[in-house]
Amino acid sequence: MTTTVSAFGLRALAIKVGGTFVLATLAGTALANTAASSSAGPLVSAEWLAQNLGRPDVRVIEVSVNPGLYERAHIPGAVNFSWHSDLNDKLRRDIVGKQDFEKLLSKAGVKDDTTVVLYGDTNNWFAAWGAWVFDIYGVKNVKLLDGGRKKWEAENRPLNNRAPEYAATSYRVGKVNLELRARLSDALAVAEGKSQARLIDIRSGDEYQGKVFAPAGVPELAIRAGHIPGAVNVPWGQAVQEDGTFKPKEELRKLYAGVGIDGSKPVITYCRIGERSSHTWFALSKILGYDVKNYDGSWTEYGNAVGVPINNPAGTVWAAK
Amino acid sequence: MSTTEASRVDVPPAIQGKAAWQPWAAVGVVVLLWFLAGQAQHWNGGRTLVFALSTGIALGVVLQRTRFCFYCHARDWLQQGDPRGILAIVLALAVGLVGMTVVQSSWVANPQAGPLPPEMHIGPVSWVLVLAGLAFGAGMSVSGSCISAHWYRLAEGSAVAPFALLGTALGFAIGFHTWNPLYSLAVADAPVIWLPRHLGYGGALAVQLGALGLWAAWIWQRHVKRQAAAPSPALPTARDLRDLWQALWTGRWNYALGGALIGLLSVLAIVRMRPLGVTATLGSQVRGALQQQGWVPQRLNGLDGFAGCATLPQESWATPNALVLVGLIGGALVAALASRQFTARRPTARDALRGIAGGTLLGWGAMTGLGCTMGTLLSGGMAGALSAWVFGAAMLGALWLGFRLQTGKAARAA
Repeated sequence: MTTTVSAFGLRALAIKVGGTFVLATLAGTALANTAASSSAGPLVSAEWLAQNLGRPDVRVIEVSVNPGLYERAHIPGAVNFSWHSDLNDKLRRDIVGKQDFEKLLSKAGVKDDTTVVLYGDTNNWFAAWGAWVFDIYGVKNVKLLDGGRKKWEAENRPLNNRAPEYAATSYRVGKVNLELRARLSDALAVAEGKSQARLIDIRSGDEYQGKVFAPAGVPELAIRAGHIPGAVNVPWGQAVQEDGTFKPKEELRKLYAGVGIDGSKPVITYCRIGERSSHTWFALSKILGYDVKNYDGSWTEYGNAVGVPINNPAGTVWAAK
Repeated sequence: MSTTEASRVDVPPAIQGKAAWQPWAAVGVVVLLWFLAGQAQHWNGGRTLVFALSTGIALGVVLQRTRFCFYCHARDWLQQGDPRGILAIVLALAVGLVGMTVVQSSWVANPQAGPLPPEMHIGPVSWVLVLAGLAFGAGMSVSGSCISAHWYRLAEGSAVAPFALLGTALGFAIGFHTWNPLYSLAVADAPVIWLPRHLGYGGALAVQLGALGLWAAWIWQRHVKRQAAAPSPALPTARDLRDLWQALWTGRWNYALGGALIGLLSVLAIVRMRPLGVTATLGSQVRGALQQQGWVPQRLNGLDGFAGCATLPQESWATPNALVLVGLIGGALVAALASRQFTARRPTARDALRGIAGGTLLGWGAMTGLGCTMGTLLSGGMAGALSAWVFGAAMLGALWLGFRLQTGKAARAA
């Protein structure tokens, strides 16, 4: 081995080393910036939101079910969408109509390029339902705050109770995507074996088994207990970690693959009134990218429908056994 | 040191006839303000702007009617032994503290972890802050008022106030120039101390209320000992509603009422809008204008990261801070006219000199201290900021020194 390195070789080496160093620094900076400023993907962290609260192109919307929660304290600058009166039709059982939705978003000052961040109480159930409605109406750039209110408070981030006032815009809905919505006929088709779609029941084991009609204290019940024939049971809580944030993508994939849901067939999620199932819809559709519909009629529709097939392992009926 | 500027009591009947136009003018101003409120509703963020205007008006009325001025109250106490004014300030702080503890314990549930409450005037504590407080106190001595009082005196027709406010703008400009060096020297490393972070809400409240209480007790004890003071003018016994109404617009309101109302208004402002401060508008206008001309460095290191009377130039002049100020002047004008205390006189060279010199000190102190008696002392103190106490102590120290010098000068002249 020669001990002398030619001047040319030395210079080339220096250039390679220097260039690699520069590239590495650039990449590192880009990565760091991406991590801090990333809103790619369907979820945003509390950290990211805290740093981006003041941006005029970010709109935070709270969708909580407990009354008075938003009024007492909310993420600074957040607008309130009431699940009961804003996101649902007040007369028929249906999601909010297209025109009312446009009015809602216009009043909140949402534009086409706005990044909408939804969050709420009770594990983001209703915020996820909101995300589903937003997707139906084709709102671009909808994100969910991973962990919701609970995580924001757990990280000791400040709240306030000032209702913000944004300059109204004229928001127009483009194409309405009804492919995200399953109806009774879709669920029935699976129950009768006429459809290849996979049904996933995300309620608790007891509800799925038919032991109880619904969780304690909820008013919306059904005449019959049990589940839709053909549905598998993965309670919604299995998709999240202790602090309420979603599990990593790989873990989710394994979780659902364990019950045969791997994205090869279209999926229909349902629960009792359709908002817990939106949570799982979010995980399957936005995080895992499967073809998923949410059956928002859920058990309160199916379990009350006359003449539809039901699986009721526990055998509970209204009258005595 | 003229006292006619600083204290007015009942207007003698002889002048009342001459000033008969004033109550009518007050009505006129009310109509103008009402119109402005109507217009503001339609502007961007109108609801908050109307609230800001209303708060400003209420503040202006209370400040004028109670003659709430940090300088005058300090002077009354330090030079004349009358503690009522300073006790009113203590009351304002105490009311504010209790209110803010209630509000903040909901907004920032765990004060010991996580970031500082956003927007609250909690500033860095260093010798720069002490210097700012001293300068501000000196400015108060020279010009005869603090900044918020100059604003309300403007509405009374004060001859010094316009110059003082001009001086304040100048002081701000100088402050922007000295900011960067001071920041590197001391402010950058200075701790930002929020008392509830270290003591919890209960602890911070107990310590601060305790300190205020002890101070008030000490003041009161000395006052009792020095009971040679002239008895305060008794309010006329109200016989009927008309007399009651007249009493409202005569002399000055009860000191304690002023203190309690100011404390309450400050809490309400924070709950609905943002902490009260009277220098943000002036400061940001100066900064914006000068930065455009290149007379103020474009980059003021770290300045906009601190919460205080923010001077970041705004796009439009119709901000809550600006409307609070407009309301303050308007409300004070209404109150002054309604009580026939509007007395405009031609300014003398002495007024101008006093105003500009004192105002410059005030402006520099307010800029470097990130706020004045309203912004740093009151709003910051209510939120539990140590910077408020430090600023206030320095300010009081400068005032005390100023009064000693004045008494000394008067003694030698006599």
